[in-house]
Amino acid sequence: MLSRVADSLYWMARYMERTDSILRMLKINYASSQDNSEDFSWQPVLRIFGHLEQAEAAELEPNGRKIIQYMVLDRENPNSVFTMIRKARENARGVQDNITTELWRCLNEFYHVVHEERLTYLLQHEDPITVLDALIKECMLYFGVSDNTMFRGEGLCFMNVGKYMERAIQTSDILDVKLSNLAYDLDKPADTTYWKYLLMSISGYSLYLKRYRSGFEARNIIDQVLFNVDFPRSVLYSLNQLQRYFKRLQSDQNTEGFSKVDFMIGKLRSKLQYSDVQSVSQTGLHHYLNSIGTDISSIGTTLNHYYFAYS
Amino acid sequence: MLTTPLFHHYALSPRTWDEMYDDEKVRFQYRNVFDFLQRIPADELSKKEELAKKLFMSQGITFTVYSSGEGIEKIFPFDIIPRIITASEWNFIEKGIKQRLRALNLFLKDVYHHQFILKDGIVPVELVYSCPHYLREMQGINIPHDIYVHIAGIDLIRDHDGTFYVLEDNLRTPSGVSYMIENREITKRIFPDLIPQNFVRPVTQYPNILYKNLLALSPRQISSPTVVVLTPGIYNSAYFEHATLARLMGIELVEGRDLVVENHIVYMKTTSGLQQVDVIYRRVDDEYLDPLVFEPSSVLGVSGLLSAYRKGNVAIVNSIGNGVADDKATYVYVPEMIRYYLNEEPILKNVPTYQLSNVEEREHVLKNINQMVVKKTNESGGYGMLMGHAASDEEIAAYQKQIIKNPRQFIAQPIISLSNAPCYINGKVQPRRVDLRPFALCGPTGIEIVAGGLTRVALKEGSLVVNSSQGGGSKDTWVLAK
Repeated sequence: MLSRVADSLYWMARYMERTDSILRMLKINYASSQDNSEDFSWQPVLRIFGHLEQAEAAELEPNGRKIIQYMVLDRENPNSVFTMIRKARENARGVQDNITTELWRCLNEFYHVVHEERLTYLLQHEDPITVLDALIKECMLYFGVSDNTMFRGEGLCFMNVGKYMERAIQTSDILDVKLSNLAYDLDKPADTTYWKYLLMSISGYSLYLKRYRSGFEARNIIDQVLFNVDFPRSVLYSLNQLQRYFKRLQSDQNTEGFSKVDFMIGKLRSKLQYSDVQSVSQTGLHHYLNSIGTDISSIGTTLNHYYFAYS
Repeated sequence: MLTTPLFHHYALSPRTWDEMYDDEKVRFQYRNVFDFLQRIPADELSKKEELAKKLFMSQGITFTVYSSGEGIEKIFPFDIIPRIITASEWNFIEKGIKQRLRALNLFLKDVYHHQFILKDGIVPVELVYSCPHYLREMQGINIPHDIYVHIAGIDLIRDHDGTFYVLEDNLRTPSGVSYMIENREITKRIFPDLIPQNFVRPVTQYPNILYKNLLALSPRQISSPTVVVLTPGIYNSAYFEHATLARLMGIELVEGRDLVVENHIVYMKTTSGLQQVDVIYRRVDDEYLDPLVFEPSSVLGVSGLLSAYRKGNVAIVNSIGNGVADDKATYVYVPEMIRYYLNEEPILKNVPTYQLSNVEEREHVLKNINQMVVKKTNESGGYGMLMGHAASDEEIAAYQKQIIKNPRQFIAQPIISLSNAPCYINGKVQPRRVDLRPFALCGPTGIEIVAGGLTRVALKEGSLVVNSSQGGGSKDTWVLAK
């Protein structure tokens, strides 16, 4: 496979995964802001996902709709849904011969959806959750189509490598957003509604109810979101999948690159596998979540060096 | 005639061939479609037009226009009423194009080797050497099967009596074939069952024939040679076509930066190292292909490509330097080439053409400029044209100055009115001018032409210019099997 093509597929998948995560994150935060506006702050969201000066961010603060609009439709914001869908589509457009027509059409239609003028109006005047749900549905369509139509080859492997790397980053970031509100103090009594929304938005609510019988407690939620291998959005699950799809790329031609990246993935996966909530809270949660992000981005750099460098 | 309101506004133009009407009568090839259109209510047609637009948009059959940093997706305008060609008309066209293409391939071989045709004085030497598309670098290079033109999109128009004329030979990187294929797909969706009822010949086999031809050119005798499509990239207005062709042939779509030449062999950069490339179907123009030989600032091409080609390590489609044969001044000599190389009479006519480097012809043209269309020999896409009947005195005066300064750059042709075909515009069926570009594929086993082509239509009322850059659109083109 052409290096440029692999690079584009990898980024297409990353942008789509990030879009999905950001939409879900916005949804929980908005829902939470409706329930409990006193404790609630949008600042962590803007700090982690936005690209604004502190003063600009402070100005947006009280207005949830404006923040959602900034995160969904702003053309200058590199992390807005609008920008990311444009980038995902542009990557897909450059590799149309390597993805299925169904997948191309799905992305192309999504692109036209975020360009609809009516979205701005709806976000300003109607229920934002309805809009976010509609966009999340487009993402689900993308995931379903890519999973059901893409041929099982190198291309899909690069897509999944990108997807699960991004998911691991996003999951730890979303967790970080909330924990920073609690000043990383797990014993601080937080309102349970937020945790509930978090789990619901990442489809982890019913698993949580079945698995953890002691009600909503920060430690259990951290356990599920970081370490539960049955939960498809947990960091450990994502790293397992990352390793699985990366191993399929093994070939005689690029042994040096393969072993380097494989080593890094294995190391990070072990770090997660042999940690638990207790040990993590001793070393410092923020530090731990941050180090996951750093490790993943150096995996990305190495991958880029050995597999994508073409110009 | 004209019983339903849909056709009430269809006014036949004087001295113009109409594809649908023979005077007051509907021609037999259109009768089925005519009856069908009369049966559907007018607003139903508008819905179908809307559906067609939506299908183009959602499938991404678009090109991007960049303005103020923001890309806007545009569709190439599509008219829903098909253009219909009878079996006997097609037979004639097919024979004519095959003959013309055989002669043009022989001409290119000749020009870049022994130049018999120049020595025999059939084509003037200065015409060839003054052509900017004649490439000295190609002189003496032997290429696979002596095929220079693998893909030709020869443009045909019809005069007032229905005679087909060749307007120009596109022998470099003719585009539009994806629209031949996609327009048909759209017609299938908007007019279900209409195609089988009319015994329309299919066009879907085009990519398969092309791929077969490309494979046959591989310099390496191996079971699965690497064939690629070379595109200038996603910003090119024909990018959709490049991607479609690569997808339909199941081959890699590459950009210049994906390729590298080492020791006169072309490779592509893959995730598992370099992989040798055997055949390149390039959609990058000659001057950008190899910065070491042509335009040095080009980033669209590959350094060293020409040396690999010269050594016979890679096949390039279409060959390089073909522009000398589809130059508008060379065009005049194509009938002579057919007589010279094939000893046959030309089947398809040329539009009478005056060369402005010839003093007598120039004077004749300047005197009768109102009835002439003057074109630059090395421009395409409808740019740099002067339509004598519509131009203002100032425009004519400015153009005359240019002509006198450099007459080799210009040719003139009497204005040919182009035939009319019915189009659905603003809720009414109206006549608009059309041309026809069939796509001929030339491989080691001969020339094949898929029964169909691109019908371009001048959507502006009264306009004679069909180019997409000048407000033209396209139609599905039907060739009937019987």
